[in-house]
Amino acid sequence: MKTRNLKRNFIAAAAAITLFSSCSDDYLVVEPKGSYLEDNYYKDEAQAYTGIVAAYDVVKKQSGGFENMITILNAGSDDFYAGGGNAGDGAGIQSWSNYTINPTLLPQSYWSDFYQGVFRANVLLEKLPDIPMDEAVKARFTAEAKALRAYYYFQLVSMFGDIPLYTTNLLPDQFYTITKSPAAEVWVQIEKDLTEAIPGLPATLNLATEAGRLNRGAGQAILGKVYLFQHKNTEAAAQFAEVNGTPGQTNQYGNRLLTNFADLWLIDNKYNTESIFECAHTKTSNADWDWWGSSYDEGNSLNVMVGPRGYSVTPNSGAPNYRTGWSFNPATLDLVSVLTDDPRMDATLANVGGLAASGAAAYSPGYMDTGYFLKKFMPKTTDVTDGGGSPDLNFRQNTYIIRLADTYLMEAEALNGTGARAQALLDAVRARVGLASTPVSLDAVYLERRKELAGEGHRWHDLIRSGKAAAILAPRGFVAGKHEHWPVPLRETENTQVTQNPVYN
Amino acid sequence: MKFLKLRFFHVICLLFALNMWAQETAISGQVTDEAGLPVPGASVLVKGTQNSTSTDFEGKYQITADPNATLVISFVGYATIEEAVNSRTTINLSLVPATQTLDEVVVVGYGTQKKSVVTGAISSVKAKDLENMPLTTVGQSLQGRTSGVYVAQNAGQPGSGATIRVRGVTSFNNNDPLWVVDGVIVDNGGINFLNQSDIESIEVLKDAASQAIYGARAATGVIIVTTKKGKAGRISVNYNGFGGVSRASRKLDLLDASQYATLRNEQYANGYSGGNFQLPFPNTDLGKGTDWQDVIFTDSARRTQHELSVSGGNDASTFYMSVGLTDQEGIVMPSISSYIRKNIRLNSTHKIGKYVSVGQTLGYSNEKTVGIGNTNGEFGGPLASAINLDPVTPVVITDPSIIPQLPNPGDYGQEFAVRDGNGNLYGISKDVANEMSNPLAYAKVREGNYGWADNFVGNAYLEIAPLDGLKLRSTVGGKLSYWGSESFTPKSYLNTNQNNQSQNRLSRQTNKGFGWTIENTVSYNKLISGHNITVLGGQGAYVDNDTYGQETTYLNQPVNNHGDASFNWPTSTDNIIGWSNTGNKHIVTSLFARLNYDYNEKYLVTGIIRRDGSSRFGSNNKYGTFPSFSLGWVPTKEDFWTQNNVVSSLKIRGGYGVVGSDAIGDFAYLALVGGNRNYTIGQGDYNVTVGYSPNAPSNPDLKWESTAQANIGFEAALFNDFTLEFDWYNKKTSDILQGVRLPGYVGATGEPQGNVADMKNTGLDMSLTYRKTIGGLNLSVSGNASTVKNEVTSVGEDRTFNTGPGFQSMGSITRFEVGSAWNEFYGFVTDGIFQNQAEIAGAAVPDDIEVLPGDFRFKDLNGDGKITEADRQYLGTPIPKVTYGVTVNLEYKNFDLTLFGQGAAGHKIFQGLRRLDITPANWQTNALNRWNGEGTSNTYPRISTVDKNGNFTRMSNFYLQKGDYFRVKIVQLGYSLPSDIIAQAGLSKARFYVTGENLFTFTKYTGYDPEIGGNVSGIDRGYYPQAKSFMMGINLSF
Repeated sequence: MKTRNLKRNFIAAAAAITLFSSCSDDYLVVEPKGSYLEDNYYKDEAQAYTGIVAAYDVVKKQSGGFENMITILNAGSDDFYAGGGNAGDGAGIQSWSNYTINPTLLPQSYWSDFYQGVFRANVLLEKLPDIPMDEAVKARFTAEAKALRAYYYFQLVSMFGDIPLYTTNLLPDQFYTITKSPAAEVWVQIEKDLTEAIPGLPATLNLATEAGRLNRGAGQAILGKVYLFQHKNTEAAAQFAEVNGTPGQTNQYGNRLLTNFADLWLIDNKYNTESIFECAHTKTSNADWDWWGSSYDEGNSLNVMVGPRGYSVTPNSGAPNYRTGWSFNPATLDLVSVLTDDPRMDATLANVGGLAASGAAAYSPGYMDTGYFLKKFMPKTTDVTDGGGSPDLNFRQNTYIIRLADTYLMEAEALNGTGARAQALLDAVRARVGLASTPVSLDAVYLERRKELAGEGHRWHDLIRSGKAAAILAPRGFVAGKHEHWPVPLRETENTQVTQNPVYN
Repeated sequence: MKFLKLRFFHVICLLFALNMWAQETAISGQVTDEAGLPVPGASVLVKGTQNSTSTDFEGKYQITADPNATLVISFVGYATIEEAVNSRTTINLSLVPATQTLDEVVVVGYGTQKKSVVTGAISSVKAKDLENMPLTTVGQSLQGRTSGVYVAQNAGQPGSGATIRVRGVTSFNNNDPLWVVDGVIVDNGGINFLNQSDIESIEVLKDAASQAIYGARAATGVIIVTTKKGKAGRISVNYNGFGGVSRASRKLDLLDASQYATLRNEQYANGYSGGNFQLPFPNTDLGKGTDWQDVIFTDSARRTQHELSVSGGNDASTFYMSVGLTDQEGIVMPSISSYIRKNIRLNSTHKIGKYVSVGQTLGYSNEKTVGIGNTNGEFGGPLASAINLDPVTPVVITDPSIIPQLPNPGDYGQEFAVRDGNGNLYGISKDVANEMSNPLAYAKVREGNYGWADNFVGNAYLEIAPLDGLKLRSTVGGKLSYWGSESFTPKSYLNTNQNNQSQNRLSRQTNKGFGWTIENTVSYNKLISGHNITVLGGQGAYVDNDTYGQETTYLNQPVNNHGDASFNWPTSTDNIIGWSNTGNKHIVTSLFARLNYDYNEKYLVTGIIRRDGSSRFGSNNKYGTFPSFSLGWVPTKEDFWTQNNVVSSLKIRGGYGVVGSDAIGDFAYLALVGGNRNYTIGQGDYNVTVGYSPNAPSNPDLKWESTAQANIGFEAALFNDFTLEFDWYNKKTSDILQGVRLPGYVGATGEPQGNVADMKNTGLDMSLTYRKTIGGLNLSVSGNASTVKNEVTSVGEDRTFNTGPGFQSMGSITRFEVGSAWNEFYGFVTDGIFQNQAEIAGAAVPDDIEVLPGDFRFKDLNGDGKITEADRQYLGTPIPKVTYGVTVNLEYKNFDLTLFGQGAAGHKIFQGLRRLDITPANWQTNALNRWNGEGTSNTYPRISTVDKNGNFTRMSNFYLQKGDYFRVKIVQLGYSLPSDIIAQAGLSKARFYVTGENLFTFTKYTGYDPEIGGNVSGIDRGYYPQAKSFMMGINLSF
């Protein structure tokens, strides 16, 4: 009897073995939870929309993350220093401020983030034709993807010159073989994309649900700027004329200069009538240090970066309630003197040094401190998030990429600073802040830009475009023929066919 | 028909048995050990029959046998005796301990084998080597005690794990070995839950010939831990406890306040480039100032450990149960650095009838870790802060009236600046900020934060042995883990750059993980006239990473200290945030077989084959097959071998096999569309809109990395007192899985995985043991040494090299390419310092950069007349080329002494203690030897706020030091009370001991500690050093 039981056990065990080994093929397949596969994504309009959002994500580079565009471009101009805690704080920003930049010091993200934007726009342009969805919406998505791709290439070409250019995403066998295209070819592609995109962009946006996306005016403003950067002034002026309309009046897209200059910097005054293309931020992403600057950090990092270090208010002194920050981008005394007596001074720069001298407040001077801070983006204690994440990283002020005063002055520049329209454009910008007319000229336009747009990341490009960079930035270490462009980040030239910008070899 | 046949067979057997019965007589006797004490549970067998019994508690037995029969008496750990009955009816026997090397048993995976017939390279650590040692974690117990295994602590933080590498670095990916505890693969979550005193043995499978039984997960080595089982016989009770104190073994020499001020002024003057010249310290006579190391290190960190075990059993059942408590404070700010572990274990075995046995093991542990947050990182935490903070800043402001005179009154005016218990503000450095902060303030805001873990690891087996030599075994095992953390961050202000909190937050994180194993094996053993064959076949299924986790954070608690914070305070929903996630299961399914054959233990053969499928592999390559083959020969058993005293036993063995690794992420073979590419669109609440885009291209061909290894070695007993083991190996890993690092311009967000690279390791493992009894003195000395040479043989076709970890703005400081070792340091080579302008004139310098006297002269390695990135070279490996350990045991009368030391050599350490981007950070005193005028220094460059030449910001040999060290890890002196005294108290053992741990470290390295673990070891970013401890303890046995 015992033998029989044993035998039965043995058969059971053998059966168990067979069972486990035979069903193992299906057994080994684990479906990813909470992830989509590329093969079965992009099936409807809602999924296409998430693709558009991903393409917009990179617009945040303007003022999101430590490595944002405004801080570094300000640092390279004659209006601001790098600042920060000390000479080593933010090596990339420092080395752009004193022109010791090299392929190692330039943060990789200034290159690769924009390419991620290009990649995401390309994915969408590839997938959209096959997605069953409303054709009008599809046309708009297509136009937005092209315009964004153009905008990202514009960022790349204007900072790096010759760059790899592609409009369908690279295949694995192209990853290491692609070479740089001449800047001229990149410009051609940017113009093509924008020209194709503009008709497909809506004239106006339903701000409640669409604010932050591109409208036709924004597309034209970017195209105008693209022409202007190439000194194609006639074409630039034509685009800007469309955007600007009658100086001082509301344009065809509903844009109009704000009455009060200081209102531009009220953090809840988002998407106001002067705004053409804006970089969106929010406190609701609960950004934290370990993913600061990533694609899902939606906070404004510029704010905390430009705040004075260790700032505190003497009780009852009435000093402003600035939030302590990291003292990046202290204003140069040169900018201070240009803005002194200008009505925009008070909204543009904060004289924290003066507050400390009077005893109204105290702060810890940072590196290259001048006492003057960039008030347009100054963090205030009332702006600090009441939600989760780090209080330092969840400021919510949007920043302007292009606003109407900018396009007024760009059109005046494109008109070579002459003529009645150029004069009217210049006057409109001055009149808004209560300044009398002054005779228009290229120099007058550039000076007005410097005052009007101080600290918004435009000045460095203005110096390059006007050809004044070499003379004005020489004391900083700027070398003509070299520092018009950034070096290609070192890693991009390693193991690839992408060559270094020769002046950085 | 069949049924009838069986019954017939049964009847025949019965008749045959009755027939034998008639001739037998009863025999009785007692079995004792070498000391004359009874041996319960010894097996007594009539040779050539199934007739057997076991001795009782008094060592007595009774058996019936033919007067001409032979009795076989055996007991674990003792030599088996064959005694002819010769018509006697009383046979008393005395067992003698088995010679260690001969009958030692080795766990080989799915079974054990006599060491004498093992053909693979397996290192063992046995319980007796670990007992009474002050070991907190299992990793420590391997360090220096086994050849071929490199162990370095990840940190001196109590409870920290260790970096363990078996025969070098096998992969570019995870190099952690596979841990198998009582047959349960405990792949993730670490091994710290084990109480080392519960360990019976640890076996390290080092070569592919032995690893192949674990197939696709064995390439990085397999470590098999077997916990203690009870032994039949008297119940034994053991207690071991010790207590002591720990402190730092050394501190760095940092500048004092006056020296610091002087150097800051010099730094400022050297970097001055116009404008208002204002020295940072017009007055440099500032005295000693603050040595922040005195603030963070304690000399009296408590340390205690208690272990109590009870074990015993009888013929049918055995049990082992234990409880343990480890309570240890860290030497760095013990209020935020400590570790407590509580362990319970119950193991048992049971025989059910003649053929069936069952058993189980179950261990539970609870760990509570209070951590300083950053144990080897330059970005904050007490260690980095203590090294980098200026000595000018006071620790505490006891007199608030001085604040207006301080350079940064604004910091002290902050509402939430941290205060001590007396309400005094902690000092805040004006200049050294970023992640650095006053350690006392830092500790204050972390108070009450801790992590915890509960682990249940166990298995149960059923074994049926229906026929002689045949065993069927089913094992079910599992690891159930819960872990999480509690933290409260008060409203606080540490300095401008810190994560300053204007709201407080209370967080709780909980996670659960589950993994299980089912294995069924059949084995059959047959001995036919000297031919001994064992075959094993089996099947296994494994699931792990079945996990989930969540965290909840409550903001704006109405109280601002951790003691009063609670999730029970009324909180509005907009002050509650949280996240949750679910892990993706990792599934492996396997079939395996092993053949062991030997002829008279003279010719040895082992063959293994395992086929594994893994859920991590691409659809085109789900399964892999892993074979191995090994041979052994024992010439000393040959007839031609003349017995001699020089070589009394010798075994030569060699093997070859292929094993794999699937230690990559899940779904690496799929092109996933990733979310969180978000943007804020629309007005209203300005909520985030979620964006999706593809991460990277897919790779359905993805498969396992395979590691082929050849091993040749021998084991010998020499001059009677020496045993020597020697192994040579050559290990080649192919198809290493690696993220194909795409250039940024490709625009992908992730890196696709590919099987692209190859690597090779060769080395020698040696161990030598000497045992001798000289008069009353028992002496044993054992040493082991291992060498490893690592060489990368391919990094993939898409590139010429890979880079490793970075250091601040330097970028990567290690690199590897074909012909180099994995992650060698890579950088510039300094060639002295330019003493004057004339030297610079003709020299190679970087383009467009003004090089000044006092700057490094870098070697122009490519001879192009300038210094560029091309002038970098390999500067040494962070992984030791040689590791070794020595243990000395002395016993004389009632005294015993153990010395254990361990060391490593042939590697470099990167000393990255000073923050490059904080120019006012403090210096070590070697900065006093900086260049400050012609002829002042040829090794330490000038200091300046502007470092255009990259003296400090370039990776160069300036940062590298020799990492060689030898450490006297343990010195233990014990005294056992004489047995006649303790017997009256019912004790069988009472021993008192004193232990010193890490008493001496011999090294030229100038950081805190030369033993620095981590994925790429040897990078010192402000490493939490290991403690020097003094302890007293007691062992009691009943």
